[in-house]
Amino acid sequence: MKRSTMALVTMALVISALFAVPAAEAGQAPIRIGALYPITGSLALLGEESWRGAEVARQFRNQKGGVAGRQVEFLRADVPDVNAAKSEAERLISREGMKVLIGTYSSSLSLGASEVAARAGVTYFELGGISDQITERGYKTIFRTCPRAQLFSKSQMAFSRDWIAGQIKKKPAELRVSLIHEDSAYGSSIARNLEAEAKAAGVPLTSVIPYDSKAIDLSSVILRLKNDKPDVVVGVSYANDAILIGRQAKELGLDIQAFIGTGGGHSLSGFAEALGPASDGVFNVDFTQFEVNTKFTPGLPEFVEAYKKAFNGPPRSGHSLANFMGATVLFDILEKTQGDQDSSKFRSAAMAYEAKPGTTATGWGVKFTESGQNALAETFLTQWQNKKLLTVWPDGPSVAKPSLIKPFSK
Amino acid sequence: MSDLFLQVTVSGLLIGGVYALLSIGLTMIFGVVRIINFAHGELMMLAMYLTFWLHTAHGVDPYLSLLVVAPAMFAIGVAIQRLVVQPILEAPALMKVFATVGLYIALQNLALMLFTADFRTIQTPYASASFRIGAISVSEPRLYAFLCAIVMIVALWAFLKFTLVGKALRAVAENRTVSALMGIRVSRLYLLAFGVGSAITGVAGTLLLPFSYVFPTIGSIYTLVAFVVVVLGGMGNMLGAFFGGLFIGLVESFSGTYVSPAIKEAAYFVIFILVLLVRPQGLFGMGKGSEEIGLK
Repeated sequence: MKRSTMALVTMALVISALFAVPAAEAGQAPIRIGALYPITGSLALLGEESWRGAEVARQFRNQKGGVAGRQVEFLRADVPDVNAAKSEAERLISREGMKVLIGTYSSSLSLGASEVAARAGVTYFELGGISDQITERGYKTIFRTCPRAQLFSKSQMAFSRDWIAGQIKKKPAELRVSLIHEDSAYGSSIARNLEAEAKAAGVPLTSVIPYDSKAIDLSSVILRLKNDKPDVVVGVSYANDAILIGRQAKELGLDIQAFIGTGGGHSLSGFAEALGPASDGVFNVDFTQFEVNTKFTPGLPEFVEAYKKAFNGPPRSGHSLANFMGATVLFDILEKTQGDQDSSKFRSAAMAYEAKPGTTATGWGVKFTESGQNALAETFLTQWQNKKLLTVWPDGPSVAKPSLIKPFSK
Repeated sequence: MSDLFLQVTVSGLLIGGVYALLSIGLTMIFGVVRIINFAHGELMMLAMYLTFWLHTAHGVDPYLSLLVVAPAMFAIGVAIQRLVVQPILEAPALMKVFATVGLYIALQNLALMLFTADFRTIQTPYASASFRIGAISVSEPRLYAFLCAIVMIVALWAFLKFTLVGKALRAVAENRTVSALMGIRVSRLYLLAFGVGSAITGVAGTLLLPFSYVFPTIGSIYTLVAFVVVVLGGMGNMLGAFFGGLFIGLVESFSGTYVSPAIKEAAYFVIFILVLLVRPQGLFGMGKGSEEIGLK
């Protein structure tokens, strides 16, 4: 029994191999791209959300005739952790012969997988991981369409200096800004960026308060803030700690002018649901969200429609949109190379590719730097107003004006 | 005495009350059955999910749901004692440890499977309600939890002190063999102790939910806190658990505010180690020998 099963499997493999070879030579074979996303495990929710964005982009393109007349196919690999990311990248490259890989949502997964790809001379097209390092390792075959971490801090400080300071009638140098961050790699790396950006913006940080995101009581964070008396608090939190801080800030009567989150917990719909009206006024810096001026983001309504149809529900976060935008750019570049996935041809086509801000579904422009980072990727500032996360700054993509509402006060 | 100092003290005492409540259940099981229950936090996690479900699916107010949660947790505790602990009561200490650790892993993974890893919170009008005394603000749900802890300790103390069953429980805690010789049905009392301990823990979980959240692995955080409190207070000593809880709450609150929130756990573990070095029987320990309860 076992032996015959083995024989059958072997035969099936041989036959499929026989058919695969002539098909690939026929010219009309599909363009195959490896897609690495965490679909199971703790990163699964937003990992799958990210993949959905790329998948919608692929379906769009295929309906319009594909890339260079060929249909596009994804070979999806589940990468729940860094080891899986490395070994799956290895497998897609050596066993499946992939020349282009996309991914990955999580920065640490991206760092692992793209390292493998770059060493094999394979193109790695990152659509969602934000760690600065990804495009700073000197590899020529790694590209990233989404904004990098540094930009988050930059826009938080720019907004504090240019808008909040004016609203509360203080000079930027007099502005008191405190940073609270969870103390794992995510929070700490953003904290380092923010300290540098604060210095550059001429708004020195009043205090930096790290905390453990798994803590069950964070009143000490709030009490320290009360003691430091900042005007603006910048927060880097996961989901649960963002809610806990909001609740305890309200309980303890924290009196601040503005709170700016850094993606993560502060942009999830669960945050506003748990806090209710107390979430009103909380600012947040993140990828492009859905409450945005669609004149600035052509293609966004169509994306949302297609997404709803494909997955029976509205998008759960802006991650799918960022991946949709990035995958679309990838297909455009492959169109330029006539579907040729050779990495040096791809690189020259990518370096020549340009899009103006306000012409893509995320509103981001496209212009790759030597290191492969999209220099025109942007983060936008959103604000919770009546349980809606509205884009409020800068003017181009915004749908509402930012308003100075004391956070956690209602 | 600045306002901040007072506020830090109040916040520390309030969270300390919750730690105390949590530890009383552990102490009950520890003191009587003499088993180290590593699945203690998981019992609380189960109670929190039960409260969450009663609230979201049936609209039951969390404080009202105590009427369901406490008996349910009592039943679960009795079942654990009967099915997991009783068969290995005479086994070496290590085996008991493995059994409850196994239970903790099983319950945690079962919860991950059934409830997913999402964080759940419930919405109540009083979730972040607070009132002010001068410049000090006091969180209402935390105050309820604190008061409830005190009521429970007093009730439990009275039960152990004045009722016949309570006296029997104390006798069993003191010496299992002699109690059996005196005609006390030891295994029944064990069932009762584990049941009551679980029910109290369940109540702690329910009282926590209005201002906290629940996720499948939350138990291990609380288990750790409860163990520190119980050892600090003297194993099996209820009053010790109460003051131990308040003490840990204060340590957390002061080190978090005046040093850094990132080190508050480290701070109470340092104190924990110091106490073990200087006074291994705990602050309220019953004296030489009792610190080994549960490992004999």
